[in-house]
Amino acid sequence: MLQAVDLHKKFKTKEVVRQVNMQLEAGESVGLLGPNGAGKSTTISMLSSLVMPTSGEVLWNNVSINKNPEALRKTLGVVPQEIALYPELSAKENLHFFGRIYGLKGQLLAKRTEETLQKIGLSDRKNDIVKTFSGGMKRRLNIGAALLHKPSILIMDEPTVGIDPQSRAYILDTVKQLVEEGMTLLYTSHYMEEVELLCDKIYIMDQGEIIAYGTKEQLKLLVSDNQTIELKAHLLNPQFEEALKKQLPAANVRKEDEVLLISVPKNEEPLATIFAIAAENTVTITSAIVKIPSLEDVFLHLTGRALRD
Amino acid sequence: MLLSLIGKQMKMLLRNKQPLIILLVMPVVLITILSTALASVMNSDEQTAIQARLVLIDESNWEQEEASIVKFLEEQKVRGPALEALIQTFESNDPIRILEGSILNSEDINKYIALEKRQPAELDNIRKDKEIDGILVIPTNFRLNYIKSAYFDEHETPDMDLLLSQENGIRASIIQSVLHEWQTGFTKSLALTKVGISPDEIMQNGQTIERIEQVLQERERKIPASIYYTIGMLVMFALYIPTFLSGFALQEVQWKVYNRIILAGVSATLYAFSIFITGMIVALMQQVIILLFGKFVLGIDWIGLEGMTVIVLSYSLFVGGLSALLTTLQLRTKSDGVANIFSGLVVSIFAFLGGSFFNIGDVSSLLATIGNFTPNGATMTAILTIQKGQQLGGIWSYMFPLYGWFVLCIFLSIVLFPKRGVTS
Repeated sequence: MLQAVDLHKKFKTKEVVRQVNMQLEAGESVGLLGPNGAGKSTTISMLSSLVMPTSGEVLWNNVSINKNPEALRKTLGVVPQEIALYPELSAKENLHFFGRIYGLKGQLLAKRTEETLQKIGLSDRKNDIVKTFSGGMKRRLNIGAALLHKPSILIMDEPTVGIDPQSRAYILDTVKQLVEEGMTLLYTSHYMEEVELLCDKIYIMDQGEIIAYGTKEQLKLLVSDNQTIELKAHLLNPQFEEALKKQLPAANVRKEDEVLLISVPKNEEPLATIFAIAAENTVTITSAIVKIPSLEDVFLHLTGRALRD
Repeated sequence: MLLSLIGKQMKMLLRNKQPLIILLVMPVVLITILSTALASVMNSDEQTAIQARLVLIDESNWEQEEASIVKFLEEQKVRGPALEALIQTFESNDPIRILEGSILNSEDINKYIALEKRQPAELDNIRKDKEIDGILVIPTNFRLNYIKSAYFDEHETPDMDLLLSQENGIRASIIQSVLHEWQTGFTKSLALTKVGISPDEIMQNGQTIERIEQVLQERERKIPASIYYTIGMLVMFALYIPTFLSGFALQEVQWKVYNRIILAGVSATLYAFSIFITGMIVALMQQVIILLFGKFVLGIDWIGLEGMTVIVLSYSLFVGGLSALLTTLQLRTKSDGVANIFSGLVVSIFAFLGGSFFNIGDVSSLLATIGNFTPNGATMTAILTIQKGQQLGGIWSYMFPLYGWFVLCIFLSIVLFPKRGVTS
């Protein structure tokens, strides 16, 4: 069991992580959700023993890793947000190097390398130099390098950042498969749909603090009193938006791209009012969808900001 | 694990064009250009004559000892005209007179040895004079004892003291070879005078000049521009190795690969040690390649392989230490500023002081002395010393500053290397 107890981290005068408490049980897949700059990467750096907390401690099987990180490191695989690979080496050479420093050699190293290349779908490109790879291929190899020594815990920091949808889907499938095989996973992302797909338990982090945690269902209960209406219309104008806010004072109205999102308490029946206001402001509504609450709504509810702001 | 780290660093180096160009192509091109362009200038410099300074202190003296010699002859029952004839023979065959007059003051030898006569009281001061290459002290009663030994078998062959300077081996060798020829001559004369052959004839048979030339040929090899610039560029461009290796280490931190390495259980000390070993191997390879280029392309005949091996290995050791130090400083500062300053400024200053571009001693002896304390300057002077034909013993005064630099680099690396890991 990996546990974070009252973790704080200060860089010079700036406190980037405050009183973080987390827990990962064996076989569990845990998501750490938060916007950029929330302190997710610093938290996982402390959890993986790379950064010493300013105060608090990380426990691995109830033993502090602050002074003795070796026991955890042997069982840990870390996929950093950056492409932590040698661009001048081939995929196979990269995996061989990382395998060797984990003490693998000979036939075992060759076998694990082949298995990993197969798992990440790069067997046919194994002898190619990494700098010639696409972003998605590099991301896959980045994951492969963390899997080579068969860790029991995998920590992934935004593993799908900046890649095409196809590669993203491939990576998510691979991670899902790992979770199904019993791997303990800590997955950080600001894509709530990834966390929803992969994780049983979710921690939501903002401005260095854990602001909520629980299962998806538990978190969604936080916003169960609300409903979100997704409105599309011809010529959305600011007057219409202002009128909505005025006449529906309990609602949270915001615009994303060309869609208007209106969160209102569940007991209200706002559709008639909305259509009436639209008519008054000469706005033609083309679609109105009443949405089931998502983690995005949970984050919005907790912070008043969208996850990707 | 160590081998994996070294292998990975070697691959990173070999698969990057920039390091290969700077570490191998640039020195080779510069050696070719400089040794061709400056060959005529340097070759004319090499014609400068070598003249050793020898001081003769004659505590023996014909005038003073003549009375003792006459007394000795009288004791041997030689009197009257026979005594006078013998005294005349002894005086004309006096080995010191022959050395002074016929050998050292001869036109041929005078080109190589400048003789000065001084008083015994001046010996202590003369010994302190670094410009003096040799002091020959003829002891009191040398002539009397020589006569007793040569003509009457009543005394052992008399000894004299020859003090040679350690400052300039080649000039000391010239003095030694001339005096050796002379001493051999007068030893032979002890036997031959007894059968009526004049020692003068034995000691002036022209072998002395041949011996000097032989010594010059053996000991003072001319350093052509090709050798000078091959060594100059070799020691200069080896200093770029640490900048590349420390640059790669910083990239590893920035790419977060260093975190992977630390998470795999590789200690920071082992990582730093791998940089040291890689720097050493690359420096050794670079030097061997450049020396082989000199041999097979420029036709240089490298001599003193034992000395060259010691110097090249020592310099590789230093480059390894410097690689570890620059890596330490880069990881501590998390910036490539240290390597940039080193490659952009320090290498140029060291190369200038060390004499990679021209012999700094021609400009200022102070700068040359400072240059000999730079690692590259010390190494260059040591290699030139070996290439001039001097023995291994002649290089240690240059090698000790190099070892000092090495110890300093290693000490600072051990103290300063960030042992807890580095975050970018």
